[in-house]
Amino acid sequence: MQGPTPTRRSFLAGIAATTAALVIPLRLTTAEAQHAPAPFTPQPHAFIRIGTDGRVTFLLPTSEMGQGTHTGQAQILADELGAGWATISVDMPRQPTPDYRPPFMGQMRSVGSNGIRFWHDPLRRAAAQAREMLTAAAAGRLGVDASTLRAQNGRIVDPASDRAIPFGDLVAEAMALPVPENPTLRPEAELSLIGRSVPRLDTHAKVTGRALFGIDTRREGQLYAAVRLAPVFGSDVAAINEASVMGMPGVRAVVRVPRGAVVVATGWWQAKQAADALDISFTATQHDDLTTQAIDAMMRAALDRRDVPMTTLRGDAAAALSAQGRVVVADYHVPMLAHACMEPLNCTATSTDERTEIWTGTQGHDVARMTLEAALQIPAERLFINTPYLGGGFGRRTSAEVVLQAVLASRAVGGHPVKLLWAREDDMQQGLYRQTMMCRMRAALDDAGNIQGLHVRVAGPQMGRASFRMDPDTVARATGNLANFDPLSLNGLWDMRYEIPNLVVDHAVIDLPVTFNPWRGIAHSFTAFFLESFIDECAAAAGRDPLEYRRAHCAGQPRMLAVLDRVAEMSGWGQAAPPGISRGLALAESYGSFVAEVVELRVTDGRPVATRVFAAIDCGRTINPGQVEAQVQGGVIDGLGAALAARITLRDGRAEQSNFHDYALPRINEAPHVEVAIVDTGSPLGGAGEPGLPPVAPAFANAVFAAQGRRLRNLPLSDAL
Amino acid sequence: MTTFALNGQNITVDDDPATPLLWVIRDTLGLTGTKFGCGAAQCGACTLHVDNMPQRACVTPLSDVAGRSVTTIEGLSPDGLHPLQRAWIELEVAQCGYCQSGQIMSAAGLLTTTPRPTDAEIDTAMAGNLCRCATYVRIRAAIHRAADLV
Repeated sequence: MQGPTPTRRSFLAGIAATTAALVIPLRLTTAEAQHAPAPFTPQPHAFIRIGTDGRVTFLLPTSEMGQGTHTGQAQILADELGAGWATISVDMPRQPTPDYRPPFMGQMRSVGSNGIRFWHDPLRRAAAQAREMLTAAAAGRLGVDASTLRAQNGRIVDPASDRAIPFGDLVAEAMALPVPENPTLRPEAELSLIGRSVPRLDTHAKVTGRALFGIDTRREGQLYAAVRLAPVFGSDVAAINEASVMGMPGVRAVVRVPRGAVVVATGWWQAKQAADALDISFTATQHDDLTTQAIDAMMRAALDRRDVPMTTLRGDAAAALSAQGRVVVADYHVPMLAHACMEPLNCTATSTDERTEIWTGTQGHDVARMTLEAALQIPAERLFINTPYLGGGFGRRTSAEVVLQAVLASRAVGGHPVKLLWAREDDMQQGLYRQTMMCRMRAALDDAGNIQGLHVRVAGPQMGRASFRMDPDTVARATGNLANFDPLSLNGLWDMRYEIPNLVVDHAVIDLPVTFNPWRGIAHSFTAFFLESFIDECAAAAGRDPLEYRRAHCAGQPRMLAVLDRVAEMSGWGQAAPPGISRGLALAESYGSFVAEVVELRVTDGRPVATRVFAAIDCGRTINPGQVEAQVQGGVIDGLGAALAARITLRDGRAEQSNFHDYALPRINEAPHVEVAIVDTGSPLGGAGEPGLPPVAPAFANAVFAAQGRRLRNLPLSDAL
Repeated sequence: MTTFALNGQNITVDDDPATPLLWVIRDTLGLTGTKFGCGAAQCGACTLHVDNMPQRACVTPLSDVAGRSVTTIEGLSPDGLHPLQRAWIELEVAQCGYCQSGQIMSAAGLLTTTPRPTDAEIDTAMAGNLCRCATYVRIRAAIHRAADLV
């Protein structure tokens, strides 16, 4: 392919015209709604394949990006089915179908710490159905009542006669039976995998270099591609001089894609050299001079606006906004953040009119499908998605720019497989950031210092509306809010469980050309910082202990009390700290789980450094305690590192950071020791991947106050440390 | 043509000698255990050994390893059960796992020079290896455990 043909030109014009339409709407309204979700009864064969050789393969509905859900989901399926743990293997479906779409999202999507908390019930049911079908087949063959048989270690066993039939021998007969509508789940006493720290399925492959991530895909005759994309948000290609690189070593094609160009070559290094050398220009935009300072000024001004509709009202608005009694006011600020997954974004594709196959570590299977459908009219039945391991996700891999780029690149070279890979600089500068936000908290305290009224004013983008077309007024109606409700920006505030009689939450919206995407914890990654810093400020204003003060404001919330009390016990809260050590406390509920954390820090040469973090999590039933601990350990250090030093800033309309030298992720020498306790209050299943992160930033800032008497209200904290 | 030893076998490739070793190993030779993270020696995901010393493959030109011995994660042990790999399995260090080849290769370099490292020595030696899942608590514990297993 050299230079666009007229046909290609018109085809590409079509692409450019649909660029703006590549926002994939997300149906999250019912997730927040009070009414019961639609019945969801996927078929067992969607998740369970049993070969006549007895091999059991689980097709899992969410991607493995480190959070351990493949192991956890396999535990659930194998335990209920009665499969032998050593004989199972896991895979993912090649095509997203309704079986893999939680009704509250309407998409196959690996987000929201749902891998276990949502999928436990559908997977248990599917495995129980499969087990009952196998058991019925065995009962027929043995001439006994099915209720006397047990499924165990990949066989149906008849304890009375000591006979056993392997699953593989029963497959043909079982498949002919009807799928039971109401299978009976195994009693607790029969479960041997659920609730145990079963070793992860992927560990050996991941310590020997054998684990295959998207970037490791190799297809026969594969070519490689690098990208050159518009640096300014909202900009597109003005002109490309393909000839400028066509003579470079190995270069095979220059392909126009939305917002830029892809260079295809015989090796990635060659493709990258050519992409850097490509003579390309981009259109001017109205925000070519946009800076972080200008965005901050807009948000700061919005904190004072008087025309913002109330989103949430609890109690009496006048009381919430009252200036009676003692008033505490504080403003907070968080920056934009990059996801910075260790594996840069990539996709390998082979695509013709007849068939498109991709290999990509995605969190958004249906996003990939819908993106290709919208841009290239690729029908779902002609698309096959292979999901290797994801080298981190954190929300970034729910988008599909790389999928479209790789498919366009493959089509430009006659359907050859093309592995398209972004450089770290592309990954860092091409957006879909965690949104920047400001918040003004204003509380009126009664004589005892308890919060009688609270006004939460948030200023900043509405990510759900901007990135997923969620209508804030529709979502407000579905969730019992008044208006203008963007859950992806306000979760953790409107639904706070602190017993504050009068509460107003509102959102002064700032629209920005920058593209945003969920980042680990979504809104909780900043709303916990706002709320838990401020609760601490109110406690100090009231002259009360931060633990006692929180307890007094959640006396009717047993799960909050349970994690607070546990972390207090772990950290020795209330006892004198060792010399030089200060402590800070915070608590957050997210994704159905409650986490309280205490940060211990030591001030060395005037600089506070976290030495230990204690975390108590109540995530309901625990499927794999070892993996819950791992997620909380990682979430704490991830959240602390981000709070201390990470930020994306804009200058001239583009991101200033480009690689890990100027976007600081936490390193091992900055990582405190993290102790995790799991608290069981007999509550429903909650998430584990995200909830460990939100409390750590306010816990650290509160510890700095305890140590030095100063409040740190702006992230990253490193500016003030 | 450039000749070097890769995991004990002599290899000759005709890539441009200026090509970073990372792409020669991954794309030309098909060993994908060594990862691309930053291309600028900032993250350590591409760490391998050149003459038994940890080195960042993403900034090492192919010409630098002519006549030398390169070891990748695939060649660290014949059976994938080097004491570090055993410790990593025992303590279940990996989450997404993407950085762990580089972590283990750096740790192997550390144990060669410092068989029983302290926490501070571990932190110093491993500070060049980023883990975005922040598995650092278990990395520290696993290096101590591997020191016991050697």
